[in-house]
Amino acid sequence: MAHLEIDGVSLAYPNVRERSTFLALDGIDLGVERGEFVTIVGPSGCGKSSLLMLIAALLHPTGGSVRLNGKPVTAPGPDRALVFQDFALLPWRTVLKNVELGLELRHVPAAERAAIARKYIAMVGLREFERSFPHQLSGGMRQRVGIARALSVGPEVLLMDEPFGALDAQIRQVMAVELLKIWERDRKTIVFITHDIDEAVFLADRVIVMSASPGRIIETIRVELPRPRPLTLRSHPDFVVYRERIWSLLEEQVRSSLHWQAADDTPPLAQVP
Amino acid sequence: MAVGSGIAPLPALVLPKVRSKNEAVALGILGIVLFLGLWEGAAQIGWINPVVLSSPSRIAVAFAGQWESGQFLADLGVSLSELAIGFALSLAVGVAIGIAMGLSRTTEYALDPFVWFLYSTPLVALYPLIVVWLGFGFATVLAITFMLTVIPIVVNTLAGVRSVDPSLVRAVRVFGGSGYDVVMKAVLPASLPLVLAGVRIGLGRALIGVVLGEMFSSNAGLGFRMTVYAAHLKTADVFVPLAAFVIIGVITTQLAILLESRLQSWRT
Amino acid sequence: MTLSRRLVVGTVSVLAFLVLWQFVGQREIVRSDLISYPTEVFATFVHLTSTGELGSNAAVTLQEFIEGFVPSIVVGVVCGVLLALVRPLRELLDPLLTAIYTAPVIAFIPILVVWFGVGTYSKVVIVFISAIFPIMINTRVGVSEVAEPWLRAVRSFGADQLQIVTKAILPGSMPAIMAGIRLGLGRAIVGLIAGEMYVSIAGIGRMIQTYSSAARSAEIIVLVVVIAVFGYVCVALLRSAENRMGTWRSDLE
Repeated sequence: MAHLEIDGVSLAYPNVRERSTFLALDGIDLGVERGEFVTIVGPSGCGKSSLLMLIAALLHPTGGSVRLNGKPVTAPGPDRALVFQDFALLPWRTVLKNVELGLELRHVPAAERAAIARKYIAMVGLREFERSFPHQLSGGMRQRVGIARALSVGPEVLLMDEPFGALDAQIRQVMAVELLKIWERDRKTIVFITHDIDEAVFLADRVIVMSASPGRIIETIRVELPRPRPLTLRSHPDFVVYRERIWSLLEEQVRSSLHWQAADDTPPLAQVP
Repeated sequence: MAVGSGIAPLPALVLPKVRSKNEAVALGILGIVLFLGLWEGAAQIGWINPVVLSSPSRIAVAFAGQWESGQFLADLGVSLSELAIGFALSLAVGVAIGIAMGLSRTTEYALDPFVWFLYSTPLVALYPLIVVWLGFGFATVLAITFMLTVIPIVVNTLAGVRSVDPSLVRAVRVFGGSGYDVVMKAVLPASLPLVLAGVRIGLGRALIGVVLGEMFSSNAGLGFRMTVYAAHLKTADVFVPLAAFVIIGVITTQLAILLESRLQSWRT
Repeated sequence: MTLSRRLVVGTVSVLAFLVLWQFVGQREIVRSDLISYPTEVFATFVHLTSTGELGSNAAVTLQEFIEGFVPSIVVGVVCGVLLALVRPLRELLDPLLTAIYTAPVIAFIPILVVWFGVGTYSKVVIVFISAIFPIMINTRVGVSEVAEPWLRAVRSFGADQLQIVTKAILPGSMPAIMAGIRLGLGRAIVGLIAGEMYVSIAGIGRMIQTYSSAARSAEIIVLVVVIAVFGYVCVALLRSAENRMGTWRSDLE
């Protein structure tokens, strides 16, 4: 039995104004093993974030089921912790209090909370910023707080929704390396969503490639690159093979989602060889 | 996050439900109607003493009486003209002072303490001084309306002029604009939001000025009439000018908001 | 430095005004019983304080203010939160409440006096009603506009309804609530003074009215300054309370 099972999951939204139904996800089947790092790539609007919300039970599927350790997920909880693209930190709380949030909601006593929170704040390298407020921190630092917050509730699965999307390109790469270091410690099960194909390959044991809306899984690619993975891995020939493979699957999807209307007198856009 | 049949148990309370504008208006009217209905019902049953608390039906009767005698219209005319003249005067003077302060730092620093004092003092307290100076009547009401209204307009106009993004001015200059162009194409439109906010606040204050002036130092107008009825304990009659003020307040506020949104369709 | 230039020009301006006022008033260039002058105003202040007249009336007004304002904060915030969270309530009552909010509250003074008498009780009610609407409506707006990421974060860790309110909604709407309280404060003071001026047995407003009929400008000016100082002190207290609750900016996240 896989750690996390997504079984025939569909998600449909009724469009009240147009009296139609919008199908966001169409029959997703996915099993994630314990300790596996899975990344999901796909064009914008393909439903990857919605899939994550379904696993977190912030949304309910219209068809199929999501199961953790065999039991269906019904409500959000500390066993599946989320890290958001917009960080979603509470601006009136210090770093320490932000990281304690999940524990507070579980009524963990104050002293114990603080100790646990401090441990994870140290793990993400923010020990001296315990008493700072989010608005005093850079984007990368805020996301580290978000990661610490998610880790501190001891989740079984870490759900990351384009966590580095709001950070600049250079910081993204470094954060990816640091994330892997943190992950190596206790090998949590991670489901990680990204736009960035390189990032997806770099991080993952498996890359799930999704189609444009309605979202379906086009292919699952196992990444057989050795760990630990250095930054320079991205230039390695084996890495390039994976990148090309995924790009060849996605290019069509991305173009269709662009709705690029050809001008009358120009020839159709050339395909990438 | 989207709404749909797949929505998990969010406190549905917190989610704004998508309602059409008409539905919202209808519900609002229903609320008012319910309120009036409850009031009338309570008066009829005897839960409340209609002589003291009055009731919609009695108020309607009182209104009819005031209308027929021409009293209501006369008072309304006085109040509205005080409002219009007072506001117009405040607008002209307020915008002028605001722009002057906005364009000249020295002017701003010199006038700032006085503006600040008048802004933060409950000006109702200054009103008796005005009575001492101007006595009773139209002039006093006008004066207090002016005093109450001009300050928010000055403050907001100044803020508006100061808020103009320097990069807007730069953009006009870079494309070859003169000083006149800068004012007309960048400063004026850009400061408009705050100026209009000042207008909206000023309108509300102006109405308060009219009410205040008429209640305390006039012998005409809706406010004055209210005090007369109150002195005779004619509660139903008191509600008529009161309701008129409430309605005027609502209408002027809605007009101001409409104006603000029409002139600012470029803002998200 | 701009700050000191602002201070210098401002101070010079005020001093010039005071000197001019003193000159014009004392020399009777304009009748001094109309406008008085600074030294006379100060002497009058001393006089009013020493006879206890200022003190006793101020005490009455202050008591009316506190008895009306404090409950208005509590009731206003609670009702505002309820309005924001309970959709049917909000949709029904919003227009009605907004109408009363945009109406000039002082217009209600005569009817309130008819109902609650000429004594302190009617003033307490006036303060309560003047303050509660801005507080309620600003609280409602603040709660409805609590940023979605905060709700999402708290929910994702499994918060129940009560926890969502206490850990996200209330702290998140605090700036709006404080703004509402500030607005309510201004309106409460206006309502209170106007109410006391309209009719009352004691209080600052009553004093103003008495001296107004006697055309005693010096006394009136003293009272105006007293009220201004009171307003300023209240705002300063509110600001320090806000600061102690932690400064954060909702537009940064």
